[in-house]
Amino acid sequence: MSGLRQHLRQSLLLHFRNKMALIYGYLFPLIFLVAFWVLYRHEKIPLIRHMGELLTVSVLGGACFGLPTTMVSERERGVWRRYRLTPVPTWAFVTSTVVARYLIVLSAGALQLALAFAIGMTMPAHPFDLWVAFTAVSFAFIGLGLVIATLADNVPAVQALGQCIFLPMLIIGGVAVQLASLPPWAQHVSAFFPGRYAVEALQGSVTGGGLVATRFSLLALVLIGAAGCLAGAKLFRWDAAQRFALRVGKLWLVPALAAWMAVGLIAEWRGRIAVATDDAPVSATPKIAEAPPAPLPLWMKITAKDVTALDFNVPSDGGVVSPFAAPDEEAADYTKDEVEGVRNGLSTWKPGLEGDDVQRVRNLLCVAAVPDAIQQPVERYLPPVVLQHLEATYPKDKLIKILTWIVLHPDDGTVLDSLPDLGLQGTAGDPSVVRERSYLYAIKFIIRITGRAGR
Amino acid sequence: MADKVVVRDLRKSYGATAAVRGVSFAIQAGEIFGLLGPNGAGKTSTLECLLGLREADSGDVEVCGLDARKFPREVKQKIGVALQSTSLQDKITPQEALRLFGSFYPRRATPERLLERFTLTEKADAPFDSLSGGQRQRLALALAFVNEPELVILDEPTTGLDPQARRELHDEIRRMKRDGYTVLITTHYLEEAEQLCDRIAIIDQGKIVATGAPRELIAQSAGQQSVALVTAAPLAADALGRVAGVTELRCDGVEAHFRTGNATQTLAALMAFLVEQRAEVVDLQVRKASLEDVFLKLTHAESAAPASTP
Repeated sequence: MSGLRQHLRQSLLLHFRNKMALIYGYLFPLIFLVAFWVLYRHEKIPLIRHMGELLTVSVLGGACFGLPTTMVSERERGVWRRYRLTPVPTWAFVTSTVVARYLIVLSAGALQLALAFAIGMTMPAHPFDLWVAFTAVSFAFIGLGLVIATLADNVPAVQALGQCIFLPMLIIGGVAVQLASLPPWAQHVSAFFPGRYAVEALQGSVTGGGLVATRFSLLALVLIGAAGCLAGAKLFRWDAAQRFALRVGKLWLVPALAAWMAVGLIAEWRGRIAVATDDAPVSATPKIAEAPPAPLPLWMKITAKDVTALDFNVPSDGGVVSPFAAPDEEAADYTKDEVEGVRNGLSTWKPGLEGDDVQRVRNLLCVAAVPDAIQQPVERYLPPVVLQHLEATYPKDKLIKILTWIVLHPDDGTVLDSLPDLGLQGTAGDPSVVRERSYLYAIKFIIRITGRAGR
Repeated sequence: MADKVVVRDLRKSYGATAAVRGVSFAIQAGEIFGLLGPNGAGKTSTLECLLGLREADSGDVEVCGLDARKFPREVKQKIGVALQSTSLQDKITPQEALRLFGSFYPRRATPERLLERFTLTEKADAPFDSLSGGQRQRLALALAFVNEPELVILDEPTTGLDPQARRELHDEIRRMKRDGYTVLITTHYLEEAEQLCDRIAIIDQGKIVATGAPRELIAQSAGQQSVALVTAAPLAADALGRVAGVTELRCDGVEAHFRTGNATQTLAALMAFLVEQRAEVVDLQVRKASLEDVFLKLTHAESAAPASTP
């Protein structure tokens, strides 16, 4: 045991002496976090909606790049061959290396959380659950890292293999791009990637119902991790001269791949991969977030002074948050049909006709806010359509008052999280984001109607 | 004296290729034993089976009185190994490496003592990537002694070292013998084996082709002398081969090497032949047989690259 303790201690010491490892392991996750903070700076509670993604990226980098890079580089140098000459069994060295990596990614995650708190993020809803979820995510990705270390004959091969897993997981695996904004086929593919379950498990502990609500994701991660560790242990190579192509027992890779497949198939079978399509909308009627009904007559008391006092500091029209196409900007060809569909459908769209005026405008604002929250390609072309419809429907003074009322009471009324009746795919998922984007578009509409200069 | 290592009829194949084909040898306690052989002869495979790095197909390997195939972990407690060009992590220091590897054994020497013995005290806290080749090799030796072993195995310990570092390492290996250690050394350098080893085994094509003290093996070739001839223009090999007393002729352009049992008569005949051929002699050397000659003769290395000397 003293040998393992010493090996663990030495592994950690060497990690902290490696400048590149520190940059990739600690600085990059923090840069990611700051980038997300800047990108989503208008969210009420900074970063809290993105901790699942941020922590997943950190673990993914540390486990799928850091772990195999260290192991393969030491194998190439002959360090593992030297270990093999000692009486300590190989599995003990692998265990120590894995524990060291877990502690490294755990410290990177803790650092990210600390910075998030410093920026203003509130405490996660379930801190203990978050640690458990983080451990399950680490286990899954460390298992994956062991498999990569087994497959790669040298460090460049680690980078190549790591990217093959890292990039798809980031882009279509639900890690860096929200699932709701992906096409249906990509959402189905994401079911076969552990990244999706990692984000779900972590985010569920930060803003959701904790471990109980993310049981499936946790089980999926543990299964994927166990299969990876088994394959990694069975195919472990301690000598650089043992090339993978010449290795016997390659079939041990099957359990690792089978775990991914099994998790994806079970998720599909249990209907966990809900995808909004034209043929099969998520729900026939838009899901309405729970909130108290809006007071009807009070908006009429809004004065010009109230309008002037508004904070017109909003994100730029060309940014990621609340984008707004310029008047002379034509919709891209592949979005034209969607834009026209919305333009033609708004006049008969039920949520735009039902309820009091404030709720109707609130619903119409969602037509701009929901695609923005999902980051759909059409997002920037819809706000001008909505504004045009509002200006054609309401007198100018009345519209300014209603919009000002909504800006001053963003949490009143209800918001929509999907727009299937207008032919738009995807679900925003989080009503607070739709409210936030509705608030921003309300201000942008006021700026345009009143001819004010925004930020 | 009791044998520290006994290898009997060791066999190891990789697929259809038989790398080790019934190797047997024994190493007595307190001696320096050299295992020599050309590349691909089965030297490394034999060593790896002995160290427990590879599973032998058959045969017996006894190390320090233990069956190495049945009790590999116990054997590893008793042996110290310095592999060829041992490399550690860039930022580990000699002191840390000795402490780390020492922690893997129940019986261990203190890092301070080993640093002092292998003159690494000044570099105790220097990162591995800042050490010279000689210092790295001394650290590899120190690591071999971390568990106070009964048997020390050195796998080509001087390969890649400059002459000064090589000389220092030779002194260190001689010191091991003086201190009573049993040493198994593999090397490409025949002069090194001749200087250091009490006994050697020459392995070729997976078999031991000769075992004995270097002097004994050379003595077996006594009476045989080597002749190296360089002429201004190439000679006809067939004609040169017919000169009286010329054996084991090798011609390479203007160079010719052969052996003879009677140098005086053969050289007289050679001179007559050279005059007849009107050949201009550039260089002519005659010397006693060396271990290299023995090695080349035994390993049929004429067609392969000749073994080098330090």
